[in-house]
Amino acid sequence: MKKILFSLAMVAVLLLSACGGKTVGGNATSASPVQITYMEWGDPAELDVWKAIVSDFEAANPNIQVNVDVSDWDSYWTKLKTLLAANTPPDVFAMDAPLYLDYQSRGVLLNIQPYIDNNPGMLDGLFPNTLTAYQTPDGYFGLPRDFQTIVVFYNKDMFDTAGVPYPQSNWTYDDLRATAKALTKDTNGDGKIDQFGYVIDPWDFEPGMSEVIWANGGDLINADHTQTLIGEPNARTAFQFLHDMMFVDHSIPDPNTSSQYGGDLFLSGNAAMIAMGHWAVPSYSEAGFKWDVVEMPSGPAGQATSVNSAGFVVAKDSKNPDAAFAFIKFVLSTAGQTRLAEMGFACPVLESVAKSDAFLKQSTPIDHQIFIDSLAFAHMKPVFKGYDEWSSAIGDGLTPMWNGEAELNPTLDQIVAQADAVLATNK
Amino acid sequence: MEYGLKPLGREKFWFWVMLIPTLIGLTFGALGSILATLGLSLTNWDLLTPPTWAGLSNYFALFNNPAYLKALTNTFKFSAMYVPGVVIISLFVAVLMNRKIRGVSIFRTIYFLPAVTSAVATALVWNMIYGRDTGILNFILNLLGQPSICWLCTKNALMSVVVVNIWGAIGEGMIIFLAGLTAIPREYYEASTIDGAGVFDQFFSITLPLVTPSIFFQTLISTINAFQAYDYIYMMTRQGQGDSSVPVVVFSIYRNAWNFFRYGGASAQAIELAVLVILLMAFYFWLERRYVVYE
Repeated sequence: MKKILFSLAMVAVLLLSACGGKTVGGNATSASPVQITYMEWGDPAELDVWKAIVSDFEAANPNIQVNVDVSDWDSYWTKLKTLLAANTPPDVFAMDAPLYLDYQSRGVLLNIQPYIDNNPGMLDGLFPNTLTAYQTPDGYFGLPRDFQTIVVFYNKDMFDTAGVPYPQSNWTYDDLRATAKALTKDTNGDGKIDQFGYVIDPWDFEPGMSEVIWANGGDLINADHTQTLIGEPNARTAFQFLHDMMFVDHSIPDPNTSSQYGGDLFLSGNAAMIAMGHWAVPSYSEAGFKWDVVEMPSGPAGQATSVNSAGFVVAKDSKNPDAAFAFIKFVLSTAGQTRLAEMGFACPVLESVAKSDAFLKQSTPIDHQIFIDSLAFAHMKPVFKGYDEWSSAIGDGLTPMWNGEAELNPTLDQIVAQADAVLATNK
Repeated sequence: MEYGLKPLGREKFWFWVMLIPTLIGLTFGALGSILATLGLSLTNWDLLTPPTWAGLSNYFALFNNPAYLKALTNTFKFSAMYVPGVVIISLFVAVLMNRKIRGVSIFRTIYFLPAVTSAVATALVWNMIYGRDTGILNFILNLLGQPSICWLCTKNALMSVVVVNIWGAIGEGMIIFLAGLTAIPREYYEASTIDGAGVFDQFFSITLPLVTPSIFFQTLISTINAFQAYDYIYMMTRQGQGDSSVPVVVFSIYRNAWNFFRYGGASAQAIELAVLVILLMAFYFWLERRYVVYE
């Protein structure tokens, strides 16, 4: 029934747009449609949503056809680089904001500022702090598509069983630590902890580490991206805090422990809380327990979280930049953003859609408003040329410490030196 | 020494026709990419902007690159354990499987199974065996009253992955050695039995010398495999962002190229790895002339 309704709607749209074409003067209806390719990383499930967006778009733009190509994260970047090197890039492709300048600085992206100038007001409804990452002295070479703020996901069933009250919006890191400690347990009595209070990503700053550093008044890197700041006193205190939760309280599992649970301890029901973004909502919605989300706690320097966006860019060598930009414009419109919001993987960058029922009343019944409210105290995940190499130098350097094989302070000293060396070679 | 028949007349034509597809593949695929890698190693290239000449600077930089040196050390440690392990154990298994016992083909199949099973799938199973708190190995140790060992922590990870890689390679080694063993004439054993030689005398005086060509071949292949080992190591020791607790050179090459936009540096690493393998091969061939017995 749904299918029939959909087809009828499509027919109606086609008829209407055909009529529209006539009144303008039969423009381009005889020419064969322009083909563009849109490439992105994502779940296979995301392909269906994108197909829906594309058919909406094609209905509104009958002379443009969009081919959608979805790969997993790792293959995506390999494929993208190969296509760019071969001068056969996809017309529009997805971009992780931190990596944006790695591509922009190498001249493979189209400056879309002229298009934006021709569409006055098109950026008006977008959250300003999601736009910052894409601004360059020469204008925009990309625009955000959707964004991610990091919040704490918590397993309600686990809290209920332990009789611990749910975390509240105004909680602090001391509360987090105490709560995590109360929820860390050996449930089967074999002498080993099998339920952990809290989980962070020990390698990527985004889910769990950068938030504590910012809430402590520290920072990751200086403004002109020449100095790594994670060895400064406030950042050190933050690392010490996480280190102590891991090695004194044992409420955060170390990487050797988490790898035994197939990676995601929250999803497997072995952790009460996790620092995570909205991308996890679809897979967590299939978990066999009740859960909800709460803002990141506050520290001595207030509340802080990380905001990062997935954006899209147009290839400089695109044969159809007009069509490519039209597609971007459509995805940023209310219709496109509404579809994206319904998909449930990310937060819409268009404020009106983020505050509409399409986002707030999605099928997964959690408090989605938290993700939007978190923008008020969000810091941008760093964006600069060489980000990947810099963050890998830090991630690699932290590994022995998280594995309990190296002391925190000498590790941080060593990492800062190595990370600064990477920054110097990426100027 | 000449083997086989020489093609004559019209056969020569077809000889080349049949070879051409492979030759084209080798020339443009293998040789072409080797030359391209060699050329790229002398440039700074990020894949997206035109390469710039770098001379030998990428090679000099390798000596100051702690991550690369660590990876190279791991590769050598890995090979030093892996190659003798594979050769000795698969020879031992082949000798055991080279007898007329009931169901020998079933045993041979069992030993060969890892070679035809997806490395990713078996590595997951090994992760369950090695797990610190949930693993089978530590469960058995605990039953025996021994404390748990963190098999995949940095300290033990290299040894643990070597074990898995050897386990995965025994099947193929066994096949090579079985072929070599069946080529040894029975009469040698019968004659030596009459002369009163025991099983061990027979092994060290007849089997071992006559199987040296297979040992040579297997050592060569295992060394090449050791320098290229990646899949089990990745699946069992991976950390964030493509790192591993025992990164080997292949990790370093991949990350430098695909994650860090350093194709020139990655190419230099690949060339250096190839040169090291070639040097080892030269050493093996020198050993071959001295120790390998051809009937």
